[in-house]
Amino acid sequence: MKKILKFPLIWLFFLFLFGYMIFDVSQYNKTFSELENRELAQRPTFTLSSFYNNKFSPKYESYINDQFVLRDQWITLKSLSESLLGKIENNGIMYGENGYMFQHYTSADMERIETNTRFVNEFIEMYPDLNVCMGIIPNSYMVYPEKVPLGAGQVDQAALTQQIYSNLHPSVQTLDFLAPLQEKKDEYIFYRTDHHWTTLGAYYGYSFFCSSKGWGPVSLDAIDKTVVSDFYGTYFSKTKAHNAVADTLTYYHIPVTQVLVDGTEKNGLYDLEKFQQRDKYAAFLWGNNGITVIKSENNLRKEEGKTSRILVIKDSYGNSFSPFLTYQYDEVYVVDLRSIPVKMSEFLAENSFDDVLILYNFMNFSSDTNLAKLRY
Amino acid sequence: MVFSSIIFLFRFLPITLFVYYLAPKKMKNAVLVVCSLFFYSWGEVKYFPIMIASVLVDYIVSLTIEKNREKKGICKICMGISVLFNLGMLFFFKYTNFFVENINALTGAHLSGIHLTLPLGISFYTFQTLSYTIDVYRGKTKAERNIVNFAAFVTLFPQLIAGPIVKYTDISRELRERKINFSQINEGITLFIFGLGKKVLIANNIGSLWDQVQELGFSNISTPLAWLGILAYSFQIYFDFSGYSLMAIGMGKMLGFEFPQNFNYPYIAKSMTEFWRRWHITLSSWFREYVYIPLGGNRVSKPRMYFNIFIVWAATGFWHGASWNFVLWGLFFFVFLVIEKTFLLKYLEKSHVLSHVYVCFFLVLSWALFAITDFSQLGIFLQKLFSFTSGTDWLYYLRNYFITFLIAIFCSVPLVEKWYGKVKKKTAVNLLILAVILIVSVAYLVDATYNPFLYFRF
Repeated sequence: MKKILKFPLIWLFFLFLFGYMIFDVSQYNKTFSELENRELAQRPTFTLSSFYNNKFSPKYESYINDQFVLRDQWITLKSLSESLLGKIENNGIMYGENGYMFQHYTSADMERIETNTRFVNEFIEMYPDLNVCMGIIPNSYMVYPEKVPLGAGQVDQAALTQQIYSNLHPSVQTLDFLAPLQEKKDEYIFYRTDHHWTTLGAYYGYSFFCSSKGWGPVSLDAIDKTVVSDFYGTYFSKTKAHNAVADTLTYYHIPVTQVLVDGTEKNGLYDLEKFQQRDKYAAFLWGNNGITVIKSENNLRKEEGKTSRILVIKDSYGNSFSPFLTYQYDEVYVVDLRSIPVKMSEFLAENSFDDVLILYNFMNFSSDTNLAKLRY
Repeated sequence: MVFSSIIFLFRFLPITLFVYYLAPKKMKNAVLVVCSLFFYSWGEVKYFPIMIASVLVDYIVSLTIEKNREKKGICKICMGISVLFNLGMLFFFKYTNFFVENINALTGAHLSGIHLTLPLGISFYTFQTLSYTIDVYRGKTKAERNIVNFAAFVTLFPQLIAGPIVKYTDISRELRERKINFSQINEGITLFIFGLGKKVLIANNIGSLWDQVQELGFSNISTPLAWLGILAYSFQIYFDFSGYSLMAIGMGKMLGFEFPQNFNYPYIAKSMTEFWRRWHITLSSWFREYVYIPLGGNRVSKPRMYFNIFIVWAATGFWHGASWNFVLWGLFFFVFLVIEKTFLLKYLEKSHVLSHVYVCFFLVLSWALFAITDFSQLGIFLQKLFSFTSGTDWLYYLRNYFITFLIAIFCSVPLVEKWYGKVKKKTAVNLLILAVILIVSVAYLVDATYNPFLYFRF
């Protein structure tokens, strides 16, 4: 046995594999990963039939992988190693100039785009009385092309958005967000570490919507705001870049009289607890819920004896955007097709709207499979 | 189960080695068989009986041959059974759909293929068991009487799924009697870690460049990016394959076996002939020993010899995959080997620079044939390589992969071994190098399962 001491590699190697295994096994299982924003796999129950059908082993492997001790730290180490190798991309997210991160997005799903465009058109044909407006919001790399690494070969969203708009039913009013956002690019309108627009970006989007209707937007100076610091968004979660610069997140204290989220009354527009957690953007409108109704007395265009309503059909970009609409409408209805609890037709039979705004960011419009629900 | 996974590194391997080392000498092979069968059945339970059948058929057939030495007829029948069984299984699982598709395309028939996943490592272990029975038939070795020893040979998990192709005669002595000593284990661990690093840190890493090129679509890329992509693939396939072999050899040593070397810096070859003496050595020697030489080798008329070479390379290509591009890939080498054999070889051996340029250039092209299964895609890709398309896309990828390329080049030449030979004398430095490779490899393996669920927040 003394001889083995002459071979430190042997005992270090076995100590590492064996020790780590025991360390790993002895830890309690976690149920949720905040960083990955998902439930972690749990130990599957062993049955002979699941083993025989090859159902057990992949489940067991994902359980082992998900519960691997110090998982987050291992992932950080990989990210660091990639940086040392001189890479400016990790897990599909590129490192641009000034701390900006961008998704490496070299091809859009053209079939999905066509299908989704068709769904929107079918929706318009089903409800000819609705006054529909459609806006596809460009993602940050379109606004900051000079910050994107050279030769990345990103999809030209401007051209594709024009193509989508030209295929839309002629009665739809379209919103071209790119130019008004580029005009404000020197301001903080997109997060560096997250894929969303900032609240300021959303405000400029809202202003553009207002001007397209011929209205003046509310002035931001008129509203109190709170700034939340240390926001590391979804792009960061993917890359875990060691030198990432945190974002700040701003929310405005827009007065409301009632907020209903899927029928439940909520205290205000924001889930304040979420601002303390990692996924801070999820605070806006309490996350992506089916039907959210915002009632207020903010309407700058108030006509006595009339209740004006807008329906916003949106993805998460709409969550920071929609509250501003309370200054133009008495009631703002916000629908997320991914979690809408009722059929669209039933919903529209029960409610009437002055305007409908379909609002998606480009990457989501070209990948989301829930727009089909517009026709149900 | 694959070696480059968390479950293998932090469950299967430590537990197996623990039980194996503690087991009494007589039980060690039995432990190996049980663990290897578990390894094989993990995720592929349905092929467990195939493995058992493989063991039993060649065990019984070979014993029968040995007991009936003087009865030529029985020996021949037995040999026939083994060939039919092993090649039959290989053809059934690997090539049925290929033949069905081609027959359908030729005759317009509508035969339906089979829906089976390829049993893990079938290309490797059928060749191993076949070589055993042939060797017994030829009287080169005695038949193994102990079924546990024989089962250990067939199922041995280190080389079961991706080689090296270990012949029975390579390890027959060790199967019966082996001493495991610390310096062998030490060497085994070293090789295993290097193999893991080759596979996880270099092959997977540089392979993602090729993946990205494929994702972009061959018609959308610039010529420089096409070259970068196929260069990346050339490194990926070498480091992937040789890394896996090295892990196998390393684990073999940890268990007390000496497996044959499988790769010997193939990219420094000065001719294609030499390349094949350095690349997947156990496969080319298998084909030489069990196909080329039985066909008459080079002790026949010139046309017959060329025919023999043709057969060997068509088969070598086809062995790599059930698709015409692999046959084409094999025949590509046939052409080069014949040209070299007739006149080129003596010039190549004299040259110091041109021979390397020649080998590297045509090897990279051969990998394009190997990597792209679809002929129309292959056409597009080759066109990209040779008719210049400009673009800036390559800048991004070169910037991302520049250091990885440098590392891959450094590790493809004997320089790396020379360098390591010097630094490993200092134990601390040696341990540090190995620890870094192992730990960073684990980090990449964990990251490969990293799956932040973002899109639902979009």
